[in-house]
Amino acid sequence: MGTLDGKVIIITGGGTGLGRSMALCLAAEGADIVVAARRKEPLEETARGIRKLGRKALVVPTDVTDPTQCNALIEKTLAEMGKIDVLINNAGIVRGERRVPLWEITDESWHTGIDVNLSSVFYCSRAVSKYFADKKSGKIINVASGEGFRGQRDSYMYNTAKAGVVNLTRVMAMSLAEYNIRVNCIVPGFVDTFEYQPEEYQQAMAQLRATGGTRRLFIPIGHTGKPDDIGYLALFLCSDASDYVTATPFICDGGGLTGGFATTGYAPVVSLKEALA
Amino acid sequence: MTAKAFELKGKTALVTGDSKFWLKPIVTALAEAGADIAVAAGQTHKLEDAVEIAKSTGRKALAVPTDITSGAQVKKAVDRVIGEFGRIDILVNASDVNLFQPFCDIKDTEWDRVMDYNFNSAMHFCRAAGRQMVIQKKGRIINVISGLAERGHANGTAYCVSMGAVLQLTKALALEWALTGVTVNAIGTGWFTENGSAADEAIARYIPAKRYGKPYEIGSLVVYLASDVTDFTTGQFMYVDGGLMAHA
Repeated sequence: MGTLDGKVIIITGGGTGLGRSMALCLAAEGADIVVAARRKEPLEETARGIRKLGRKALVVPTDVTDPTQCNALIEKTLAEMGKIDVLINNAGIVRGERRVPLWEITDESWHTGIDVNLSSVFYCSRAVSKYFADKKSGKIINVASGEGFRGQRDSYMYNTAKAGVVNLTRVMAMSLAEYNIRVNCIVPGFVDTFEYQPEEYQQAMAQLRATGGTRRLFIPIGHTGKPDDIGYLALFLCSDASDYVTATPFICDGGGLTGGFATTGYAPVVSLKEALA
Repeated sequence: MTAKAFELKGKTALVTGDSKFWLKPIVTALAEAGADIAVAAGQTHKLEDAVEIAKSTGRKALAVPTDITSGAQVKKAVDRVIGEFGRIDILVNASDVNLFQPFCDIKDTEWDRVMDYNFNSAMHFCRAAGRQMVIQKKGRIINVISGLAERGHANGTAYCVSMGAVLQLTKALALEWALTGVTVNAIGTGWFTENGSAADEAIARYIPAKRYGKPYEIGSLVVYLASDVTDFTTGQFMYVDGGLMAHA
């Protein structure tokens, strides 16, 4: 018996990365899961993992940048699973073009990124909102990023889109609260989703590691996050335990946003006497 | 029911503070999740009630009457808990003394009292229990404070400053202990009611969820933060306020 027994949860971007890890974590706690993304292959693999845990899984290949397909995702889920309890808007492109100066970014690159990372959240939430409002219950969980709270050199699309997700969360939470719909967002820091990624990503990551990534030096806790760190946060937010929680960004980033002032382990010691001398 | 990932079996939790609301629901949630409980607070019925509740769940429970504003007494209280249970896995500071007065009318003694209860008590407990947690290479500190740690409030200088101080303590300590396995987080509470009815209907309408919170709705987040699955979460301020902090 699990705390999510009988719940139906949709996860966009459920084929790989955090989407897959959340799917498995929530299924292990009893939820039936609907995974949606463009590529069918990875979705099927996530679905196999969910079924292995004894839960129902539904694969709905969806391009979340297309509002019609987002509507169809909700309709198909209702037809096949009978209900929806939680929508997790997780689909996203981790990076657009890197290190491209502003004057060289194409309209297409900008729009694609904003569509996948931000508009998709709007499309899917809009699609499910009337259903949630009518039954006077429902939860929406958006996956943002620490980048939504800070700037980053040459990262126009990603940081802007994720900041948009944070504020879209607040607006939806306030607007839908009267229908007993809760909207929160998960703000992951650098989480290593290596094992949930396709092979080409694994190769790229292996290369990055071999050349000695410096990222962990700026994570106060001294190491990157595990997929389960995010999975269990999703579990808390999906469960009845979070019924009075809404509009809140849940930051899970090893202290990254709290510090951001110096590298890990930098701790000056100055006595008051010295300071006043 | 507690999800398996959030279970606290075999852990010792120390809950502190003389607050009107938080002691009972926090102790209840932690005990139901399987933790043994120690409560350090002034010698009142609130302390006894909280310990009785913990016992009724079948967990070990220890009442430690303490003047939480006194550094020396806090240290003694923490030593007693360690003596009794051998360790402290979870510290929840939940002191909450209200004072709303025009700034210029607040007497020094009143100001100090608010700082002593809301801030200094948390500071003393963080140091005394944190010392043990750093030795253990593991610990969870959860400061239950108010959204007014971040927001201002007319006539609320003393309260806002005391809560803001705990929030900054939370953030700085989280970084200082980031490599030790001790996490430090804060929960931001909004308007709550014990009897189910809103003390002020105008405020209830202003809250996006259109109702006051029930004290037990704090307990579930405390349990999540206290559990083993939150290693990567530190220095954070999480709201349980029905959406209030999203307002302008």
